[in-house]
Amino acid sequence: MQLNTHRKRPFGSIFGRSLIQIFMISWTLMLLLPIFWLLYSSFKTSSAIRANTFAFPKVIAWENYDFSSLSDVGLTIGIYYRNSIIISVVSLFILIFISLIASYSIAKLKFPGKNVIMIIFIALLGIPVHAILIPLYYQMLSYGLLDKYLGVILPYIALFSPFTILLLQAYFREFPNELIDAAKIDGCGNLRTFFSIVLPISKGAVSSVLIINFINIWNEFLFALVVMTNNNAKTLPVGLMGFKGTYAIEWGPLFATLVITIIPTIIIYFIFHRNIIQGITTGAIKG
Amino acid sequence: MLKVGEFIDYYNLVGFMSKRINRNNFVNYITGYSFVIPPLIFVVLFIMVPVFKSFYLSFTSWRGLGEPSFTGLRNYINLFTKDPAFYIALKNSLLFQFGATAGTILVGLILALLIDLKIRFWRFYRFVFFLPVVLSTIAIGFMWQKVFDPYGLLNTILEALTLDRFAIIWLGQSQWLAMGIIVFVTIWQYSGFPMLFFLAGLQNIDPEIYEAARIDGASTIKRIIHVSIPLLKNVFSVIIVLQLIFSFKVFGIVWVMTQGGPANLTEVLGTHLYKVAFTGQSFGYGSVIAVLIFIVSMIYAYLYTRISGYKNTLK
Repeated sequence: MQLNTHRKRPFGSIFGRSLIQIFMISWTLMLLLPIFWLLYSSFKTSSAIRANTFAFPKVIAWENYDFSSLSDVGLTIGIYYRNSIIISVVSLFILIFISLIASYSIAKLKFPGKNVIMIIFIALLGIPVHAILIPLYYQMLSYGLLDKYLGVILPYIALFSPFTILLLQAYFREFPNELIDAAKIDGCGNLRTFFSIVLPISKGAVSSVLIINFINIWNEFLFALVVMTNNNAKTLPVGLMGFKGTYAIEWGPLFATLVITIIPTIIIYFIFHRNIIQGITTGAIKG
Repeated sequence: MLKVGEFIDYYNLVGFMSKRINRNNFVNYITGYSFVIPPLIFVVLFIMVPVFKSFYLSFTSWRGLGEPSFTGLRNYINLFTKDPAFYIALKNSLLFQFGATAGTILVGLILALLIDLKIRFWRFYRFVFFLPVVLSTIAIGFMWQKVFDPYGLLNTILEALTLDRFAIIWLGQSQWLAMGIIVFVTIWQYSGFPMLFFLAGLQNIDPEIYEAARIDGASTIKRIIHVSIPLLKNVFSVIIVLQLIFSFKVFGIVWVMTQGGPANLTEVLGTHLYKVAFTGQSFGYGSVIAVLIFIVSMIYAYLYTRISGYKNTLK
């Protein structure tokens, strides 16, 4: 996203500008210092944290990151991590695939009733998980999908597809018709036109929705909390709640687990922040 | 809906012969439908059917085993007349909703206006200010809970500064303080989100308007108040509704920081529903809260479509 570069003239006096910088630096510190505290505390032993929560680690406590010791108290971080990765990847793959084709169809193909379909997706955009939590639980119970990957993957696809489709169809709507028509004259069917002409040019939009959805699914909590109750089925955010119980006193391993929970999204944000920022703003403003 | 004229234009453009129109039409319909059907099946099965089922369950008593038995309006009557925790939850939900919406939007607006002044390092600031949004609310909630823990970071700092008397049990003392802290953490994490919206809105303002303001001798502060903010009117209405929708769904941050406690004082609708249905096994009763949340959310969603102009794009 580019900001308006027309206004080159900087704001007012040196005094005014310094004041703004001080404010911006304060908010930056406000945001980064707690995360930094979390990061360095994760290398302190629990007793060192108890002794002084503020101090830097004197000895690096790598043992916090040895999560196998936590399995004695029923916290299987490795399994939570594996579950989170499998659930995120599989849901993302199906979600993006069906959303891409549907968005293309809504944006570029002509068929009666597609406005109605669009209105359905828009209406579903605002539905909170709470409103469907109990019946979905009931449904998963009767399908035998409680504590199964599919038990969260299927609802995740449903929950995140309205937003994904709205964003993608807004993008495809602006895709030049000439390219599509040229491909059709050359005898390409709809699917082939889409995969060989439209998709390669749309990498930016696709990566935006991929990343935003990955972050949403990776962080999703409430539904996973309800469906994944068996310890071997829990995702990371749900598994984290295990630290609330008897193990509450051990801050070192807790902080290490928090760090490995937020690291994947931080890395993705570092690499793709442009896509994320662009995706969110187009999705909401342009519709 | 398609009009006859549109058909003819479309096919002239593509260059198909007129006698092929009907056949192509048919093929287009079939592909069109088959492309949108997969996600439709998902939302029907996992969103729409459950929503209707929520309504049904709210008129029944179901304890998680066997079949739900019909009880009429009893759940609704109980909720409104016999459940003091519900009123606390409703009050806290509204408190949180307005606190978080106002807070994130105010902070987000200030950050966006300052970044838009093209001060030094603005790209870095924009990067950092949005960063917390992508982090897990549960992880962030745990982090802040340890900051506000009786033996946590804040009290350690206060003691180091010999301000011991201000070192209190932050999250376990009063309803207002605990809710205030939860709102604060939400502002801390999510003000980058409205910031992005305001930045996009500011970017869309015609530079010539600014130029005119400058020629008229308006200072930067005056320009912000009299030009930028009024021109952000549409962004305001969209982001206000969006933040109201988001904050009404609050669950994770409350669940991880206080679990609704101490003694229901920080209960919100989401945590109350979870406790009633999944801890107390009263699924029918919990569904009443679900129905309430659904109705309110639909009102917001309707407002959102009206404001954001989705209808105009449906042509």
